[in-house]
Amino acid sequence: MDFVILSLILLAIGIYGLLTKRELLKVFISVELIATAATMNFVMLTSSTGIQVGEAFLVLAFSTDTAVSAVVLALLVMARKKYGTSDIGEIVEQKKEPDQREVSP
Amino acid sequence: MILETLTIGLVIAACLAIFMDEAVYSVVSLAATFFLTSALYAMNGAVFVAVFQFAIGVGTLAVLFLSGEMLGGRMEKSPSRRNVLTVIVSGAVLALPAVFLSLFGTSSSVPPISFGETLWNLRAADVVLQGLVVFAVALGIGIVLYEKKRKGELQWTS
Repeated sequence: MDFVILSLILLAIGIYGLLTKRELLKVFISVELIATAATMNFVMLTSSTGIQVGEAFLVLAFSTDTAVSAVVLALLVMARKKYGTSDIGEIVEQKKEPDQREVSP
Repeated sequence: MILETLTIGLVIAACLAIFMDEAVYSVVSLAATFFLTSALYAMNGAVFVAVFQFAIGVGTLAVLFLSGEMLGGRMEKSPSRRNVLTVIVSGAVLALPAVFLSLFGTSSSVPPISFGETLWNLRAADVVLQGLVVFAVALGIGIVLYEKKRKGELQWTS
């Protein structure tokens, strides 16, 4: 039960970072924390019940997590190269500008 | 006692990873989070998963260090000691429920009902999942409202 509480705390920290931080790197770190919380819940339940198949399934979860990390990091670098910033608000502002030019010439 | 220390360290490292301003410091805190998670897994008997977590954590952190250096630029200021202390104390306070349950809870005594019966026959899995969803939604709404109020965007009109 204590590890369920611990994973809930990690999930709460990750959700807070996901909702409040505007830096893409912080958003990525928040996603990593949420994934860690979910994996921890699974690992602790698996180790408490003694069913070893769960650990084998966790390898799949780890590989999915790694693939997600790779894609998010690639998007992060591309966004930084294209817009020159990693702030979500600034990226949204830069994306709005061409539309506004079309509307009000 | 080692498990409780690891738990407190894990929550503090997670808080530091979110709240540190510099990208490199955040990545270092995330490294500590991964390492402590791996140690927790190993101490609970899941050595196989611990090795995987450690290996994947090392790979992710290597890429994150590179991208953090590339994206973050120069470090202009060192983090203020007061902010770091505040985050550490907040993390330790957040970890208290898990520590108290670990020290004084009934997790060590095995209940008469088996785990499978608890999850499926008594619908505990549904209750836990619904509770998680409600908790996440309530937490999200609360945080969004708090941020809007802090920025002065929220105005109650009658």
